[in-house]
Amino acid sequence: MADDGLAHHRRDPIKSSVGNVAAQRRRQNAVTVGKERRESLVRAKRLCRVGTSGDSEVSIDNDMMIDEEQSILETQASSAVEELKSAVVYQGKGAMQKRVSALRELRRILSRSEFPPIEASLKAGAISFLVQCLSFGSPDEQLLEAAWCLTNIAAGKQEETKALLPALPLLIAHLGEKSSLPVAEQCAWALGNVAGEGDELRNIMLSQGALPPLARMMMPNKGSTVRTAAWALSNLIKGPDPKAATELIRVDGVVEAILRHLKKADEELATEVAWVVVYLSALSNIATSILVKSDVLQLLVERLATSNSLQLLIPVLRSLGNLVAGDSNTSCAILVPGHEITDRVIEVLVKCLKSEHRVLKKEAAWVLSNIAAGSVEHKQLIYSSKALALLLRLLSTAPFDIRKEVAYVLGNLCVAPTQGDAKPNLIQEHLVSLIGRGCLPGFIDLVRSADPEAARLGLQFMELVLRGMPNGEGPKLVELEDGIDAMERFQFHENEDLRNMANGLVDKYFGEDYGLDVSTE
Amino acid sequence: MAMVVDTKFESGFPCWTSVPRRFRPDSPFFASGNIERELLAKQVALDITEDEKHQLENMVVEDARGVCCPIVGCNARLTSLEDFEDHYHARHTASCSVCSRVFPTSRLLSIHVSEAHDSFFQAKVARGYAMYECLVEGCELKLKSYKSRQQHLVDKHKFPTSFEFFKKTYPSKKQRQKTQRRKAIDNKEASSTMEVEDETIDGLVSAVSKLSTSDSTPSSVSFGRRHTRGLTFVPRTVQHQR
Repeated sequence: MADDGLAHHRRDPIKSSVGNVAAQRRRQNAVTVGKERRESLVRAKRLCRVGTSGDSEVSIDNDMMIDEEQSILETQASSAVEELKSAVVYQGKGAMQKRVSALRELRRILSRSEFPPIEASLKAGAISFLVQCLSFGSPDEQLLEAAWCLTNIAAGKQEETKALLPALPLLIAHLGEKSSLPVAEQCAWALGNVAGEGDELRNIMLSQGALPPLARMMMPNKGSTVRTAAWALSNLIKGPDPKAATELIRVDGVVEAILRHLKKADEELATEVAWVVVYLSALSNIATSILVKSDVLQLLVERLATSNSLQLLIPVLRSLGNLVAGDSNTSCAILVPGHEITDRVIEVLVKCLKSEHRVLKKEAAWVLSNIAAGSVEHKQLIYSSKALALLLRLLSTAPFDIRKEVAYVLGNLCVAPTQGDAKPNLIQEHLVSLIGRGCLPGFIDLVRSADPEAARLGLQFMELVLRGMPNGEGPKLVELEDGIDAMERFQFHENEDLRNMANGLVDKYFGEDYGLDVSTE
Repeated sequence: MAMVVDTKFESGFPCWTSVPRRFRPDSPFFASGNIERELLAKQVALDITEDEKHQLENMVVEDARGVCCPIVGCNARLTSLEDFEDHYHARHTASCSVCSRVFPTSRLLSIHVSEAHDSFFQAKVARGYAMYECLVEGCELKLKSYKSRQQHLVDKHKFPTSFEFFKKTYPSKKQRQKTQRRKAIDNKEASSTMEVEDETIDGLVSAVSKLSTSDSTPSSVSFGRRHTRGLTFVPRTVQHQR
């Protein structure tokens, strides 16, 4: 299947004289390795193939390892660790050189392929020797190589990353301002991988004081160290516990640094910083309100307007979305209809809706739906903007997850803000216009989908139509678009909520009297 | 999932409320963007082909979107919404060969065929046998008349009172007016507009035979929607090639 494609892409044919069995094993291995490859690619960890000091005599060999080569690597790893062990123990002349060579050898083995022989290295006891090599006062080269090895070990599976626990305090210590930049960066990288593993390890790192030094590393204007530190920080604060995010926003100079980078940094650095903002705004209300009071919205809008890098646009858009969703002040006080910032926000959201990238379309629609959940003036603003035509088109043509978000926008445009417990009023003008522009089939389509949330949304919109269209046109319109059929589906549906909603509507609007009124046609 | 918590209003229907929706960073809502982040980061280092990238994205997105068919009694598990549609269309739309009405299960189809097209069935009804099955699978109750089955569905299974299993086509307004006029003119002929509620046996039988071939005006509430259009679902768009 597709896995064969993965196995054979860009490889020179392997000279092999073995028969079917071995070939089959190779294929199976390719499948497993292929699966592992996929999983490793979507993990939040990053393998270090080229050193932070720019020393790149390492040839990057991207191809997949098959059976024989993988086991060769494992053997090499074991012997390299053995070498390291004796180098660490050795106290005589040239000890430092010996250690550095042994570390370098191990590092090379761990950097060569996509699947470093982590397990073999751990089995041979690598961690304790590496920790010894991190001791204070060690020469930079030694620290660098040791941290590099640890980085790649931490890029593996959960248990493998956990093995780094003994090394954490030292790695954190070497983030200090007295460390050389390449060393600090390499330690940050290793810590970023550990943080990317899970919240248990994140909590340990936080309690060991990893956050302040990483935050400080993010403050200079430029350099790969700043970028690596920002990335590591984003992994560290991603929660679900908001305490790290709250701690970060309180570090002196962090907000200023974030704003500075969002404004001036190159796209790579801005991307990592934007992810930090994503987590700050999603997790911490304190962070959100501090950010909102700053210039950040303006800067995010600028980036959205000028950049074409998907990598950058995703976190910037999401930060905007989080800020709008998280703090009603944003909508009320800053994104006031009529202010320039508000128009610009709509503009950039339109740009994202037009993008070919699914994630951007979906999340832009989400942001719009939250703005549309604001005041009547906000709804009017969106209604009369360029967004509307786009949204209507997306409702009929886009993939499902985008259509769902668009449905939220359009529905919110038709319903006035909730006031207390009363049933919200319809904005009939918008409803009539949207129906006139053909949005009803799209909603009925959602009713037919397998997703209960979407079906619910569709039914709620149908209720608006049935109740709110003038002259009692609602039922006829719904019937014309096969809405009754769509509702009938729920008669044998297992979801009671949806069953009751659908049955309730049918009962109320398509009862026995339906169609028999005396009004002229 | 950020379901909006609606308050139920007098009708009991949870009306649309316009509220902002916030998601946690680990919410499945953000999953595709998160995946994209990691793929893009590693793409640089590892030079993934476009093909591989698509496979990776599909792999994750589909895992997140696996759906269970919601029809009661159907245990099908589908990996994507497109698959779900195909499944629904194949398994839950059974059409009658006599009158081409469509039903969501073969059981309901067979009930329909017996009740609408089988004179043997009617003969047994005439002799007083309880022939009208309850439509809800597992209930097993049989009733003696269409109406009493109807009542049972409403009382026991909370069906809407206006529900009609047997499609009583609501003729269009013009049709009704025409019929009214004809009735007024032609009193002797009792044949037109026979309603199913007419309990006489003859009435039932002739009503059955008439209704089974009646015209295709849009139905009101009932099962057995006439399959006048090609597809139940609006065809999905082809996804963009990235």
